[in-house]
Amino acid sequence: MSTAIGSKNVKSDNKLVTASLILGGVVIAAMMIFGILMLFAQGGVINVSDAAFYQFLTIHGTGMIGAAALAAAGVMWYFLGKYVELSKKVFIWFLALVLVGVVLVVIGVFSFEYASAWTFLYPLPAISANAWGVTGALLYLFGMLILGTGFLLLYIDTGRAIIKNYGSLGKGLGWDVLSGKKRVEDAPPKAVVASTMVTIVNVTALIAGAAVLIMNIINVINPSFTFDPMLAKNLTYAFGHIFANAIIYMAVIVVYELLPKYAKRPWAVTKLFLVAWTMSTVFTLLIYTHHMLMDFSMPKWMLIMGQALSYANGIPVLVVTAYGALMVVHKSGIKWDMASGLAFMSMLGWTIGAIPAIVDATIVVNHVMHNTKWVPGHFHMYMGLGAVVMLFSFMYYLAKIDSNVQETKLDKFAFWCYTIAMMAISIQFLVSGALSTPRRWAIHYPGWMTPAVFGAIAGVFLVIATTIFIIHFLRYVKNRGTLGSDLHEEKAA
Amino acid sequence: MVQTAAWVTSLVFMSLILIVFAVVAWKSREKSDYEPIKTKWNKARKVYATTLVTILLVACIYTLRELPYDLPIYGESQDPTLVDVEAVQFGWIMSETEFKVGEPIEFDVTSTDVTHGFGIYDEDMTIIAQTQAMPEYTNTVYITFTKPGTYKILCMEYCGLAHHYMVSEITVTE
Repeated sequence: MSTAIGSKNVKSDNKLVTASLILGGVVIAAMMIFGILMLFAQGGVINVSDAAFYQFLTIHGTGMIGAAALAAAGVMWYFLGKYVELSKKVFIWFLALVLVGVVLVVIGVFSFEYASAWTFLYPLPAISANAWGVTGALLYLFGMLILGTGFLLLYIDTGRAIIKNYGSLGKGLGWDVLSGKKRVEDAPPKAVVASTMVTIVNVTALIAGAAVLIMNIINVINPSFTFDPMLAKNLTYAFGHIFANAIIYMAVIVVYELLPKYAKRPWAVTKLFLVAWTMSTVFTLLIYTHHMLMDFSMPKWMLIMGQALSYANGIPVLVVTAYGALMVVHKSGIKWDMASGLAFMSMLGWTIGAIPAIVDATIVVNHVMHNTKWVPGHFHMYMGLGAVVMLFSFMYYLAKIDSNVQETKLDKFAFWCYTIAMMAISIQFLVSGALSTPRRWAIHYPGWMTPAVFGAIAGVFLVIATTIFIIHFLRYVKNRGTLGSDLHEEKAA
Repeated sequence: MVQTAAWVTSLVFMSLILIVFAVVAWKSREKSDYEPIKTKWNKARKVYATTLVTILLVACIYTLRELPYDLPIYGESQDPTLVDVEAVQFGWIMSETEFKVGEPIEFDVTSTDVTHGFGIYDEDMTIIAQTQAMPEYTNTVYITFTKPGTYKILCMEYCGLAHHYMVSEITVTE
């Protein structure tokens, strides 16, 4: 069933996908500015009030993950739609609900001074030491709930479409191939396997998130309703970890689709590939406990599992996806342009970001690294230099195949500017973590300031590069439907 | 120091990956048939995967030998000093704040309002131990200070607008 079925109305579908990418891209750029302001404030360069700093922190974390997930969902929808029949109505509902959610979150944070960080760790939304009130908390929590509902609708639809076409989610992951019931040549395409994985993990994550959000909402309205803070924390990290991780698993479809086309080499689905994606499905669901390694009251086996499976979670990307990408590119005479260059760079970002992540998942290391800036160090690397770069790669790809907008030297400048700046930002976070600098601190002691200032300056270059990427994409949107390249979109890899 | 070991390990493996990607990008300008490349590098993948899994397995088992959750084995005449630590927005209430070098201590950490993080920093502002301070739960940090000095307690979990002012001190003498 790996035949590309395409969509009845590619142009209209592309409009929806570009809407998600524009919204996602612009919000990501805006969130970068809050990141820069926080780093300058920590570096002692500018004065930001404590209230404003933690509002920036809340909006930066929530906005970055939300925006990247939105754009990545657009990418997944675009490629998955070539193999299964997806509902356009559901995608429109998804976009609308996300937009409503974002508006509520922004009003809650900036008009009602809500600042719980994205983690909204129970019972902080209700116990703010008078920093924010019930209205702010409810706007944020309901905003998140509506946003999550939008995503849940989308994944219910992707799940429905996959089951309709392939029989079950297990078959979407290629389990019938692994069990020998089907030939590997008939395995589902890479986009379907990845989308099945994301559907499974994100439906789980969103249900966990909705549960803890609703409990927090009731607690904010009626503080006499209480619940177990450890259960709340488990649900919060099960939601946050899985949802954030799934961004890269949605966006990586770009790499699977683009690199073989550009290198003119096949990147076939193998049994090893299917095993790797099943491993990723299981590990992604289970390893959120590595966020709770400093919760000594948790069952010890869960924390040991958190470490062991976090180590194991590096194997699929290091042995299968990154290695496969390198094989496809090696001595291929590949045609490098912005899309292929960014796709390749994103694999580097993901892979090197996995290293400090694995290190931090080691319990004895986490004992002195947890909630230091080491943590944003590793996730800025695999999100900022991995997942988000995949999104930009897709933007350039779409512009190439669906318009006559040419890439310029400015785009090439932006490529290197973005790469170096994002690398610098990630490294300064890691250095800060190694220096024991706590994360989520509005002020820094003098010994912690220098890396923050360095990161803020790098952030300015990052925003410049991102703006160039987005301007190129907006030029495409204006010229959509004009001359495309020979890498026609319907030729799925 | 754990931080240095973490930093050096990360830097070594990250540099290795960077070099591999750079070499592949450089070599991508050449054009060869894919079949021989696939055969060669699929074979190499087996060695690479085996090595990687072995390294991860050994590192995982090695680092799991001693965990901060485990009660240390005390000497016969060594009774640990039990310290009650209560976190509140935005301060630390501790039953004791003065200790001796070599004295085994158990910090029993909890919170009366929201979740906080109990982080112990030495005089160089390097974190040496931490745990979460949670309402309804008590987490115990086992520590024996080896150097005298003034140690700081910092909040390591975001707990509200004065989170970064939630700092306290303990003294360790010879």
